[in-house]
Amino acid sequence: MSERTGVIHDIGYRPYTGPREGRWGIVAGLLRHGALSTFGFGRSARSKVLPFGLLVVTLVPAIVFVGIISFVGMDSELLNYAGYQQVTAAFVSLFVAAQAPVLFTRDLRSGAISLYLARPLGPAAFALVRWASLVLAILAFVVTPLVVMFVGGLGAGAEVRDELPRFLVALAGALLLAVLLATVGATAASLTMRRGLAIGGTIVVLIFGLGATAILQEIGREQGVEDAAAWLGLISPFVLVDAVQHGLGDAASSFETPPDNPTTAALMLLIALAAAAAALLLLVRRYRTRGSR
Amino acid sequence: MTVIQTRVLTKRYGGSKVAALDSLSIDVGEGVTGVVGANGAGKSTLIKILLGLLSPTSGDATVLGHDIRTEGEAIRTAVGYMPEHDCLPPDMRAIDFVVHMGRVSGLPPAAARERAADVLRHVGLAEERYRLMGGYSTGMKQRAKLAQALVHDPRLVMLDEPTNGLDPAAREDMLALVRRIGHDFGIPVLVTSHLLGELERISDHVVVLDAGHLLRSEATTAFTADTGHVLVEVLGEDAQSRMGQALAARGVAWQPRGQLLEIDPADAPPDALRDIVRDLAAELGLGLVRIQPQTGRLEDVFREEVPA
Ligand SMILES: Nc1ncnc2c1ncn2[C@@H]1O[C@H](COP(=O)(O)OP(=O)(O)OP(=O)(O)O)[C@@H](O)[C@H]1O
Ligand SMILES: [Mg+2]
Repeated sequence: MSERTGVIHDIGYRPYTGPREGRWGIVAGLLRHGALSTFGFGRSARSKVLPFGLLVVTLVPAIVFVGIISFVGMDSELLNYAGYQQVTAAFVSLFVAAQAPVLFTRDLRSGAISLYLARPLGPAAFALVRWASLVLAILAFVVTPLVVMFVGGLGAGAEVRDELPRFLVALAGALLLAVLLATVGATAASLTMRRGLAIGGTIVVLIFGLGATAILQEIGREQGVEDAAAWLGLISPFVLVDAVQHGLGDAASSFETPPDNPTTAALMLLIALAAAAAALLLLVRRYRTRGSR
Repeated sequence: MTVIQTRVLTKRYGGSKVAALDSLSIDVGEGVTGVVGANGAGKSTLIKILLGLLSPTSGDATVLGHDIRTEGEAIRTAVGYMPEHDCLPPDMRAIDFVVHMGRVSGLPPAAARERAADVLRHVGLAEERYRLMGGYSTGMKQRAKLAQALVHDPRLVMLDEPTNGLDPAAREDMLALVRRIGHDFGIPVLVTSHLLGELERISDHVVVLDAGHLLRSEATTAFTADTGHVLVEVLGEDAQSRMGQALAARGVAWQPRGQLLEIDPADAPPDALRDIVRDLAAELGLGLVRIQPQTGRLEDVFREEVPA
């Protein structure tokens, strides 16, 4: 048997007397590790293909826009920061669907969850750190094209004065989107040990949810009930982010019936955040009971 | 020093009438402590309660002086835990995983890397640490699981069935390793198994659980104490009965015990008995394999007290 070696008897055990990190040091390390492993770092080479492949595809429109402005000399109005996620929604959704299981399903499947929960952080903090790692990863994914457009636009002669406000609104929107998408992805991926099921569930919620909302809003507009149709934005994170950017940040909307006043947008934002908080609470509870198994 | 203390600790799952742990009061000291019990005896339940992952229905316990109900975080910082089931991500290399587990336990990056390499060497995975764990044999997986429990230099380790699924040779290696952790590394060990025989050899103290009840909790010496009998093993044709007849002719009482002869030396002083046996073996042309005091075995304890 190759795994039996005599070497182990030769080296004495050395205790560790150096410094140890506190709770926040552990949280920071775990957060970083989680976000990186979502992109395949620290795992097999194969695991990097999908996340980076999707990221490249998602960057294509941004690069094309910058190219058009630089070489064709079109107006920088073309750089629609706030509307970008709606253009690449399918790729962002695929990223969330495929990579959320890395942080949730994988721990359950491999059983590593029982090691994590027996570590200092404990179940509740661990679940929240995992979720936050996913938020960070998605944020990196959705912010990168915005930065490419912003920097590329400035390079092509656009004015900071014109671009910055629109860029900042889109950044805030990207943060909200990352929080909402991470919550959907974490919920699906922590409910099942089967990766395929987690991916399928997330895709149904995100991509079909977006399609259904767009269609329903279109119907609502035709029926002349725009105000009611605006609320349908709560069904899809993409439509909701668009509504909030439009209602509170004055960005152009990509959908049929955005809320026509800030109050509605603010209310929609609050409701969405409350729903996310509730989902997180359930996530923490699932991890608590899991620790006891 | 007492590292674990439980007082009338009881756990009932859900509304279950049968207790998984029933009024368990034990004290665990330094060295290696074995917890023995059949499937469902409550071994894993005990460990999870001690880690603060599961709250007891009633009773109290402390681990390294920390209360399990209120100081779970302090306990989990100081304890290393090896679960009984699979817990290794197949798409990670052992070295990366053990470093990561060291970080999650509070080691700074450089220390985690150094200690991960160290403990992987201690468990005998020096060569294989750069391979993905998905390709590991069961023996290697158990070693990697043990390494992650040691990486943060815990002040106590709890090992849940570390020999589970191992072939005899790998089992011996694992037991030797567990013993080294308790004795050479100086880290107190709580180790479970459903096999009494294997714990008897490596433990200083054994706790026997049966359906959540404490059957006995004693130093291993009490289980393996000298029974006052002497065991003789001889080799040769019809060795046992020929030696037996010769002994009987000399007035020495004996009874068969497997292939061996069990002698009650009450009639003869041990030294004289030794001479008699040696002479008889020579006379009869039998090979004398051993003459030794007989000790009780944990298996016997279990056989006596646990029906089936
Ligand atoms: N999560 C749970 N919910 C309900 N009952 C449980 C749960 N976990 C364990 N039990 C029950 O509690 C009892 C003790 O289980 P435990 O897993 O502690 O035993 P064990 O000694 O570790 O057994 P094994 O050798 O099979 O690992 C068993 O009767 C088991 O069925
Ligand atoms: Mg068990």
